[in-house]
Amino acid sequence: MWRNFELEKSYDVVIIGAGVHGLATAYYLAANHGISKVAVVDKGYVGGGGSGRNTAILRSNYLTPEGVRFYDRSVQLYRTLAADLNFNVMFAPRGHLTLAHNDSSLRTMRWRAEVNKLQGVDSEVITPEEIKRLVPFMDVSDDTRYPIIGALYHPPGGIIRHDAVNWGYARAGDRLGVQIHQNTEVTGIRTEKGRVSGVSTNRGEIGAPIVLNCTAGWASLVSAMAGVKLPIITHPLQAAVTEPVKMFLDAVVVSGSLHVYVSQTDRGELVFGASTDPYASYSMRGSLEFTEELASHVLELMPSIAKMRVLRQWAGLCDITPDFSPIMGITEVEGFLVDVGWGTYGFKAGPAAAEAMAELVATGRTPQLIAAFDLARFAEGRLASERGAAAVGH
Amino acid sequence: MISSRRRPTAMISRLGRQEGELIDRSRRLSFTFNGVEHRGFDGDTIVSALMAEGERIFSRSFKYHRPRSVLSATFHDPGCIVQVGDEPNVRAAHRRLRDGMAVEAQTGWPSLRYDVGAANQLVGRFIGAGFYYKTFIKPQRLWPTYEKVLQRFAAGGRVQASSPHGTYDKRYAHPDVLVAGGGPAGMAAALGAADAGANVILVEEEYELGGHLRFGGSEDLVALRELRDEVGAHAGIEVMTNSVVTGRYDDNWVAVLQRELPQVAERLVKARAKTLVVASGLIERPYVFEGNDLPGVMLSTAARRLVNLYAVKPGQQAVVFAANESGQAAAADLDRVGVEVLKVVDPASGGELVRALGRGQLEQVELGDGSIVDCDLLVTAVGWTAPTLLVNMAGDRPRYDERAARFVPGGALPDTVLATGGIVGDGPLQALVAHGRATGTAAAHRALGRADSIDIPELEPAPHPALFRARTHGIVDYSEDVYSKDLVAAAREGYDSVELLKRYTTATMGPSQGKLETINTVAVLAEATGRSIEETGTTVWRPPYAPISLGALAGRILEPVRYSPMQPWHDSHGAKPIVAGQWIRPEHYGDAAAEVRNVRENVGIIDVSPLGKLDLRGPDVSKLLNFVYVNKWSKLDVGSVRYGVMCGEDGVVIDDGVTGRLAADHYFMSTTSSGAQAVHEWVENWLQTSFPSWQVHVTSMVSAYASINIAGPRSRELLGRLVPDVDLSPESFSYMQVRTGTIAGVPGCHMWRIGFTGELSFEIHVPAGYGLYVWERLMSDGKDLGVGPFGLEAQRVMRLEKGHFIVGQDTDGVTQALSAGLDWLVKLDKEDFAGKPELVWQHERGDGMRLVGLQPSDTHLVPAEASQIVSPSGAIEGRITSSRFSPTIGRSICLGLVSARLAVAGTVVTVKLPDGRHVPATVMEHHAHFDPEGSRLRG
Ligand SMILES: Cc1cc2nc3c(=O)[nH]c(=O)nc-3n(C[C@H](O)[C@H](O)[C@H](O)COP(=O)(O)OP(=O)(O)OC[C@H]3O[C@@H](n4cnc5c(N)ncnc54)[C@H](O)[C@@H]3O)c2cc1C
Repeated sequence: MWRNFELEKSYDVVIIGAGVHGLATAYYLAANHGISKVAVVDKGYVGGGGSGRNTAILRSNYLTPEGVRFYDRSVQLYRTLAADLNFNVMFAPRGHLTLAHNDSSLRTMRWRAEVNKLQGVDSEVITPEEIKRLVPFMDVSDDTRYPIIGALYHPPGGIIRHDAVNWGYARAGDRLGVQIHQNTEVTGIRTEKGRVSGVSTNRGEIGAPIVLNCTAGWASLVSAMAGVKLPIITHPLQAAVTEPVKMFLDAVVVSGSLHVYVSQTDRGELVFGASTDPYASYSMRGSLEFTEELASHVLELMPSIAKMRVLRQWAGLCDITPDFSPIMGITEVEGFLVDVGWGTYGFKAGPAAAEAMAELVATGRTPQLIAAFDLARFAEGRLASERGAAAVGH
Repeated sequence: MISSRRRPTAMISRLGRQEGELIDRSRRLSFTFNGVEHRGFDGDTIVSALMAEGERIFSRSFKYHRPRSVLSATFHDPGCIVQVGDEPNVRAAHRRLRDGMAVEAQTGWPSLRYDVGAANQLVGRFIGAGFYYKTFIKPQRLWPTYEKVLQRFAAGGRVQASSPHGTYDKRYAHPDVLVAGGGPAGMAAALGAADAGANVILVEEEYELGGHLRFGGSEDLVALRELRDEVGAHAGIEVMTNSVVTGRYDDNWVAVLQRELPQVAERLVKARAKTLVVASGLIERPYVFEGNDLPGVMLSTAARRLVNLYAVKPGQQAVVFAANESGQAAAADLDRVGVEVLKVVDPASGGELVRALGRGQLEQVELGDGSIVDCDLLVTAVGWTAPTLLVNMAGDRPRYDERAARFVPGGALPDTVLATGGIVGDGPLQALVAHGRATGTAAAHRALGRADSIDIPELEPAPHPALFRARTHGIVDYSEDVYSKDLVAAAREGYDSVELLKRYTTATMGPSQGKLETINTVAVLAEATGRSIEETGTTVWRPPYAPISLGALAGRILEPVRYSPMQPWHDSHGAKPIVAGQWIRPEHYGDAAAEVRNVRENVGIIDVSPLGKLDLRGPDVSKLLNFVYVNKWSKLDVGSVRYGVMCGEDGVVIDDGVTGRLAADHYFMSTTSSGAQAVHEWVENWLQTSFPSWQVHVTSMVSAYASINIAGPRSRELLGRLVPDVDLSPESFSYMQVRTGTIAGVPGCHMWRIGFTGELSFEIHVPAGYGLYVWERLMSDGKDLGVGPFGLEAQRVMRLEKGHFIVGQDTDGVTQALSAGLDWLVKLDKEDFAGKPELVWQHERGDGMRLVGLQPSDTHLVPAEASQIVSPSGAIEGRITSSRFSPTIGRSICLGLVSARLAVAGTVVTVKLPDGRHVPATVMEHHAHFDPEGSRLRG
């Protein structure tokens, strides 16, 4: 799979965080640019952060041209990832439904559909009858509290096996010479005259001219070690999974108004998610309230599954920026780069972000695809929300 | 495939009366299994009844389709999960039999229903853990096909779209002490706590108290009866059986799931326990060896349960592999009831179990000395697992006790959580009870705030041989069909930490959640990597302890609906309801266009009660207004009203409304209906976090006042008929003013001269209890003026005619104030306000979108809202945000967001309709399509 190594004294690039972003960046550095003296260090195990805790929804029906272009690139990369990595990542384009329960959300769905069509992304607004055909368990009658009056249907959206993506990148990187160091916590970042020179870890010092921060929920803590302040607040995001039942839900269903989304895995389990917890925290504990609210909202959509049982619940951390868009690129410390601010939507972005970050490391130039998402925008008043990444959920 | 040669077909294996049996032989029940009629007794579980009638196989395994029978005879038994009626995944070794139950096996049994070719190909590939990842990669286009086939393997039962929701509810409880687990130590803890004066809830997963005493010998049963009687008689103890503590959340927020109650299917009890006593006992763990999943191989406690609780004979000829007393006791029980115990193998004296053999069920056992014993029952007793979830949730991390060969609590519990019984240590009954009692007393003292310390006697885990795997490989995870050799292979591949290994192989991820599997997974991994179990560590138990139904979690679904006080009138006058967030409001009363005309010509009234209303008092209100609104508020006279817009810190418009000054230190703010709560939170957030020294009191008045807008040329006349004490003449009550007075005899009403419709209008806020009355008076007293009600739709049309934007419709999550056309309102020279830096930047750049009025060239074509405005090359240049046909000016009208450079009056833009047609529209000078000067409004 991937091997264990002793820490070397120095590497060309040290990547902090063995989530999808860190692992994929390492892989693209080696695969696309021939840079393989790369260490990915993580305080825990591969995929132990958000990348192994997310609900693995992929889609590209974003709202603005820049957002659509970026996520579309990611979905494209995901589509061929299994073959590229020789590891089945089990991408299942089940189709993605965002429900509208009132006029104004239906209007927003129409808006997204119209933008998507112009961008060549397959998505359209469908009626309750069509929803019922796709999801026979859905209660589309109008005597519910929040009647379903339509949905945005995005056939190429779907789910993927998150662990497989993480491991696939790790394994492929390992084959190309990347070293993955688990249980290696970065405790400090060394700089000299405004330039990064390496990191300190619980296993010793590592020298490196380029250090990349891919630590998502912990990103602001890690950046602070280099003296770089990030406008990020970390919120927990919870999820839960049920016992398996035979396949009955062949689409990813999202309801913004009811704060819930649900899909069924190949194993038959329902996977649920919701919106982030309203408070800032680094705690990864699940709460009872979360499952209660989740259940009542799911049952409003599909009342006949009341007897299904929740098997497990968990939480992960989300690094939220003020404009709900990621931060990718250089910082004021030379050689210290960030690929953070992924909030609740960063898994699907992994391949495209990593491909671009690798290019930045290799060429020293910021690729156009991510130029709008630089850190300086906050100081210069160019919030990226207009370049619109992902304020619309997962 | 299922009927093996030597399967004892329909052999009745009900024993004579057992001392501790739970069945009531006088009450016979009938039920079906896979459509075949069966009988059992009241008190039987589904599985015990079936076994008594000779059934042995209750499910098939997930991947290899191996027959599965009883393993642990508990809730967590992985082989005993069935469908009952429309309920999937019922734990049949736990669930009590009910008359008329329709039980079915879940796992595609008795026949493989899918296409045999595909199945065979797949089964061939189920050759080890992680096979998913390594197969079906190329050609990629075939993956969806494989996936469909794989899905048919999914374990689990069926849900039906026609199932009723069922009845569930919730309860809040506030016990001093909550005891999780009703075995001897738990019962003793409950008694200790209750005797010390605490009120106690005692929760037991099984249908009756007693834990392992229930299937013990005579002495145990006597002790059980005594404890149970004492508990039952104690007024301070509430007992919940067939209930399970599913989690312990922060501050001892304890979730208890009660099952099968008389009126409700399940109930979630949420208990804020002052102290929690965890007495969840021990779970017997399986042994890993070849053939360990054959029907006929079971744990010692399973055999003892079947015999002693249900009087079921689990086999005819048995081998017992006994590394502890439980094994010896099982052998004795079996012998007593006439099972021929051929061999008791004791590892302490060199005995070794090598493998179990058989086709479809156990036929032979191979022992370490090479001997082969013919038998149909193999009982193993190799040790215990402490279910530590609840203490883990309290912050404790399990520690491996090598002497006892099990993980135990790590000793880092908060004061509010104690543990007793098997989870802590082993001992004779008296020791468990003494420990339990003392722990219960201590728990009560802590709960009641008493300082006296209680001596809790020692309870240590007893030494136990470390037996995890025989020299052969076998199943580690029964529900997931994971073998020990799969784990070894995965560890070799590099998945050499528990967390990775469990994710890769899915060991411990199935319905029993690792209760039976985790320790063996860890042990096999330790062996494979040459590390100790301690170094290998264990996985984190994740809640819930036992699966909990969505129904129970949801309870009765209480989604409040809000109605205005005038709703009865709307209902009886043909209003068409529309859901608007929490509110249900009239969309129209039959003919929106007529309602528009009536407002423009006569007078109309609309119920606007859902408007956000905040009462603001204190000397610093104007500072607050200056900060949250983009315009200036310092010089607002008493009696005046001003329009304001709020932006987030990103300069994006979040709300608008008017605020009036009622007295020197008293203001009244109105917000949008949909933004009512968010604005309240927004204002409070600033006051509490950034400006705690400002003296401002904020009170929401949404439901305190009913609100009505009276609009139209005759509105003054209408309102004047009802208001004796306020001069409504334009000279003394001009546009953008507020007065307080009496309406239809109701004092204390606020009247504002403002208007969203563009007509002369008054918005009145009446104490809610009089809302309906005032509404009815307006209707009756204004008959001759032509008064009529109007709904949301007419209001939307009229506001669009007037070019008033709606936050969230004509603006979106990224529309900054200048994009909304608010240049005239935003005062960038103010010292500071929420969103100012961003708006300064927007002002300097002059970019982004602009909200403009638009009129399609085809006067009768109303472009759908969200239609895109495109350039000749197809690039997006904006969109239509609102569109209607205006009955007043007789043409189609719109608001839209367009790129700044197109926002010039007279520019013709191209609108792409959803059907693909492209149509021209002209950018207008004003947002307003009607009376842009506002002469009607100010009249
Ligand atoms: C419940 C949940 C559901 C989600 N659902 C979706 C979804 O459906 N679709 C989607 O696209 N996104 C989703 N997300 C978001 C997504 O999971 C994340 O944005 C994404 O995984 C981030 O990946 P990453 O590689 O940047 O960081 P992570 O995977 O979080 O990796 C960061 C790593 O940094 C390590 N680290 C931290 N500090 C240090 C240190 N000092 N030294 C060394 N290592 C350190 C951590 O151990 C961790 O492994 C969800 C998130 C959650 C929590």
